Amino acid sequence: MATPIPSTYLKNFEKAQAERKWHVIDVAGLTLGRAATQIATLLRGKHKPDYTPNVDSGDFVVVLNAQKVHLTGKKLDDKMYYKHTLYLGGLKSRPAREMLGTRSDEVIRRAVWGMLPKGPLGRVIIKKLKIYSGTDHPHSAQQPSKHTLKTMRG
Amino acid sequence: MARAKRGFKARRRRNRIREFAKGYRGGRATLWKAMVETVRHAWRFATWHRRERKRDFRRLWIIRINAAAREIGTTYSQFIHALTQANIRIDRKILADLAISDPAGFKAIATQAGIKAQA
Repeated sequence: MATPIPSTYLKNFEKAQAERKWHVIDVAGLTLGRAATQIATLLRGKHKPDYTPNVDSGDFVVVLNAQKVHLTGKKLDDKMYYKHTLYLGGLKSRPAREMLGTRSDEVIRRAVWGMLPKGPLGRVIIKKLKIYSGTDHPHSAQQPSKHTLKTMRG
Repeated sequence: MARAKRGFKARRRRNRIREFAKGYRGGRATLWKAMVETVRHAWRFATWHRRERKRDFRRLWIIRINAAAREIGTTYSQFIHALTQANIRIDRKILADLAISDPAGFKAIATQAGIKAQA
């Protein structure tokens, strides 16, 4: 008897949740955008053969040394981060150099967020990203595995 | 011949639309004009999306094959190229299914196609 042709497998939420792993990534010296691409892939789960687009099938990512991330060119001074206080004339801008000093997590988060789908699912996915400016993190209970990124030129 | 009144058919026609419009938001479920527009749009979208579904799934299979290919140290494009060269004609749907249900078999296909699988 012929074996039936399989219909495409779709992972359900419970399974996706059970399979979630933790990765630790040290971004010291890595180029911001190039690191963010790979972080975004892990968060979304596109590295898994059973990736399912309508459920959050990705892993947790712990980013260390966010403060030491590398920016190319003159972006330390030229790349501006904006936020609006909602008051009149309340648009605040800060260059990357200042952001790295005080809110280095936000630098990484914004870079990764730009690469995630914008929507309810994207907002859930970004929550699995934990960023620390130094080398300490409180997630050792989750037994994260050390993940080295493929280094690319530039 | 029996007499056929217009109202009977007209009511049937409208009721068909009303049946489809059930559960729509606000006036779209109750007001005749909004109802007709919404239902007709819904039918068009349904047709489009039945066509698109084929493409959506092909895209998903490609993403999955890519993930599986990267696990054995290659990429989607190299993998598919090698398969074409080796004249292995397995479609993407089956490849994606193998990648999940039978990773060893997937790897075997890659080896057969002349890819040196790692890890």
